[in-house]
Amino acid sequence: MKPDAHSVYTRRLVLQGAVAGAAGLCLTSSHLNGLALPTVPERKTKRVVLVAFAGGVRTKETFGKPDNVPNLMRISERGVLYTRARSANLGHYGAALSIFTGIAEQRGIRENSRGNDPTVFELVRKELGLAGNDVWITTAGGAQQVNYSHSVHPDYGARFGATTLDGDGVFNREFRALLERYGRPREWSQGEKDALTQVRRAMSGGGTDAEQRRANSERVEQWILSELTRGTAEMTGANAADAKALRLARNLVTLFKPKLTAVVLQEADMAHGNYGGYVEVVRRNDAAIGELWTAIQADPELAATTALVVVPEFGRDRDLNSRRGLDHGDGSDDLNYVTCLCAGPDFQRGLVVKDEVGVVDVAPTVCDLLGAKGRGGRKLPQLYS
Amino acid sequence: MLVAMALALAPVTQAPPAQSSRVLDAGELRRVCLDLLGRPPLAEERARWIGQPAEATLVAITESRGFWAQWLDEQLWYFLLVDQFAPRGDSVLRLPEALEAGEVDVRDAVHRLALAPNFDQRNPGADTFVTVVMEQLCGLSVDKQRRELEFGKKMYDGAQTRFLGGEGRTQSDVVKLAVQSEGFARHYLAREHERLAHAKADPRALAQWTKRFHKDPREYPLLVREWLSGESLERRLATRRPISNRVWARSLHVDLMGAEPTREQTEPMRQALDSLADPAPLRSVMARLLLDGGKAVIEPVGSDRSAWVRAQWLRVLGREPRADELTAVADALAQPACRVETVLYALVTSEEAASY
Repeated sequence: MKPDAHSVYTRRLVLQGAVAGAAGLCLTSSHLNGLALPTVPERKTKRVVLVAFAGGVRTKETFGKPDNVPNLMRISERGVLYTRARSANLGHYGAALSIFTGIAEQRGIRENSRGNDPTVFELVRKELGLAGNDVWITTAGGAQQVNYSHSVHPDYGARFGATTLDGDGVFNREFRALLERYGRPREWSQGEKDALTQVRRAMSGGGTDAEQRRANSERVEQWILSELTRGTAEMTGANAADAKALRLARNLVTLFKPKLTAVVLQEADMAHGNYGGYVEVVRRNDAAIGELWTAIQADPELAATTALVVVPEFGRDRDLNSRRGLDHGDGSDDLNYVTCLCAGPDFQRGLVVKDEVGVVDVAPTVCDLLGAKGRGGRKLPQLYS
Repeated sequence: MLVAMALALAPVTQAPPAQSSRVLDAGELRRVCLDLLGRPPLAEERARWIGQPAEATLVAITESRGFWAQWLDEQLWYFLLVDQFAPRGDSVLRLPEALEAGEVDVRDAVHRLALAPNFDQRNPGADTFVTVVMEQLCGLSVDKQRRELEFGKKMYDGAQTRFLGGEGRTQSDVVKLAVQSEGFARHYLAREHERLAHAKADPRALAQWTKRFHKDPREYPLLVREWLSGESLERRLATRRPISNRVWARSLHVDLMGAEPTREQTEPMRQALDSLADPAPLRSVMARLLLDGGKAVIEPVGSDRSAWVRAQWLRVLGREPRADELTAVADALAQPACRVETVLYALVTSEEAASY
């Protein structure tokens, strides 16, 4: 007998009723209107980790089969599960981008260009005055995915973008071999650094912005060089690219404690031709998300202030294709609805929300969690305790 | 025989430039080469082409293997047939040679790309495959053409049906009908014009080019030359745009090593650079790798520091240094701690070198 997602949820503590919902609504409204009611405590959440469990992941293989995702099940006890989150559209790129913009993005399936609408990264950086190192994305999918960092919106754009890193692109054997072939960059003396500054100032005319960009760039440069010695480049296996993205996120979260860290996974898309491999990716990514969560909980400051959101961009077809794989184009509920998990210090615990929400509700919710208005839009309901 | 001997003995001279002929300076040549060859000009190319008529230079470039290699690279990127989806078979990898020799035209070449196994692996399943064919080959929006998408999917799955105005019943028919459509010609030329002329095509001009190309795809190199001549060339040279990571990696090799790099040298760099939305930190690492690793071929400064600075600015930025730059850099070079590598590092990692 196939496991039924709802039978799983009924075994969990399901907080039903209007009291919790009304409380959540009250909090949200007060926050939105800035009324600062004396009974409303200040949010504990100061940081958000947003995992786009992308590549097309059905609920059937995640919360519908708890054995595949013991870690997500464990984490969900500390938060809220939205079991009918409607996905925004059916191309990986546009759908994943929609998670970050909060707007259904109609993009070509292989379109390799940035979106027009500002991403959540740009919104929070601009509104909250965050630095580049406060907002990160680690990705697993190559060329298109660096486009998630920022839009081409004239009021936002690169200057408010997330620092974006595709783990598999840098932390691989080929790049390590390159470093070994050429040797590592040597340390520069202070005299040489001063000479460099003199040349650069002459070329650019100086300016605080240019200096800040360079300082930020140098910090990232140092981090990349040190990360190359940590073994990330040696990771292999069915979900290697996803695992690198999650591992980088874990290292970033614990070292830099950014305000917003996003992770974009992609390997589940092997389901087109390999159902077994897809399930294995789901299992391994569950384990890696579990490690990320454990690392957050092990740091008292992070545990008290960090929210985790995990959401696929869309699901997959209801039935296997002729290659015994799973495509994504049949318009079924398995494809169109996914499960979204939110866990964190401000959230209700063990609540399952079966009402329809949108994947596009995640971006406004993240803005709200970090104290930014963003561009408005519907937030996930019944979230706060 | 006598004619052949006479030709062989004749001095090698280039045809005199036409009166109205536009010549390219160092900066303009660099930018044209970055677009058409995916790298800056090599030393011998600078010597041959700077100050020569632009038309003759464009003919030489568009008839070269390097032009077609760059064309193929751009197409692979357009279809995202890169990294694990990069082609491995000769049918695709030999395309630059075949295009240079006139054995195939660009429409045949794109057709071949879309039939290659890596294209199928990149776009698995009927829905994805037909969507990509419609969007990428023909510039159609599947959201507005759902019916056509469904017909294409049926054809992909083996049903005899019509798609894009033609009959077929296989996956390869889906590709063939797309590539043979006028929509392919229009979309291909629109995107190529945007890539090379840095501007959207005028609709009326595009319609004329489409007719020419649809009738004979061998018109493509001639169209490229038209797009990079006259007012169109002036408009292109009046704009700058960010340099892509793959072109930057090749440029770094040419600028610091003085030679065209192999794919094996640049691909790990490009792949790593593409991993960052802002590649500046890694570009910096890579420039230092080449400079600090002692692999760079660097002209010694000599007694005239200003002359050295001028030569490097012309070579890497395609322009003379400003007076304040010249003074500051010559002063810096006089300091014991400042190496020539320090100046070259500043040059190749400058914001100016990040666009062209």
